Amino acid sequence: MSNFNEADQGTYVVLAPEGKFNLVAAPPIKARIDDLVAAGKARIVVDLQAVDFIDSSGLGALIGGLKTARQQGGDVRIAAAGEQVRAVLKLTNLDRILSPYDTVEEALHDW
Amino acid sequence: MTGENEYVLEGFAVPDQLDAVHALLAEAAAAHPELDPMDVMLFETAIIEIANNVVEYGQPEGEVHWKFTIRVREDEIEAELDDTGQVFTPTQGAAMPGEDAEGGRGLAIAEAVLDKIEFERLDDTNHWRMVRRLGQTPPV
Repeated sequence: MSNFNEADQGTYVVLAPEGKFNLVAAPPIKARIDDLVAAGKARIVVDLQAVDFIDSSGLGALIGGLKTARQQGGDVRIAAAGEQVRAVLKLTNLDRILSPYDTVEEALHDW
Repeated sequence: MTGENEYVLEGFAVPDQLDAVHALLAEAAAAHPELDPMDVMLFETAIIEIANNVVEYGQPEGEVHWKFTIRVREDEIEAELDDTGQVFTPTQGAAMPGEDAEGGRGLAIAEAVLDKIEFERLDDTNHWRMVRRLGQTPPV
């Protein structure tokens, strides 16, 4: 299921995938981030509250999106990551460039 | 093997079937409440990465048949995966890719959380055996 919700808040956009953020769900999210950045919306929060599992494809989509957004002066930040997501970020050392914020509000701190 | 602690899934190695692999492990975990949820979670992360590999690279695409067997023992949890895809040579022992890499982490993640990961080609089948010892600390 490649389901995700999107909320454009003006200065930033929140994308909220659900369920498994895996090789099925990752490509549409990555494509959406690319489209948003191309449209000048490079500040993106990925709200992971409803994600119970991430795989390396999901991580790849986040890293790819992060690179695209940063090239345009924006960022991709993640919020409300569950235990499995945090464990995988740590295992892969990606928590250093994709620090998990507890809430969407905290992710916005300097925007 | 009595079959009591064995959970088996057979089907095609296609993206939709990944949910069935999650469900198979959930079934095993539900029947074994003694399992530490952290062990189950990390084991799930590993076996899904290996399953992803078969789904993504197994040829002919959509026609690869697989069989997953999960066994819960007192001191370890094991998964065996047999698939009918083409001959495959995994690059084991690869380092975790750098932080800006968009791919190449699957096997490295699996190796990081498994105590044993074995691969062999048996006749026309790829055979994976994945084991995590239970109750280790620290878990990651």
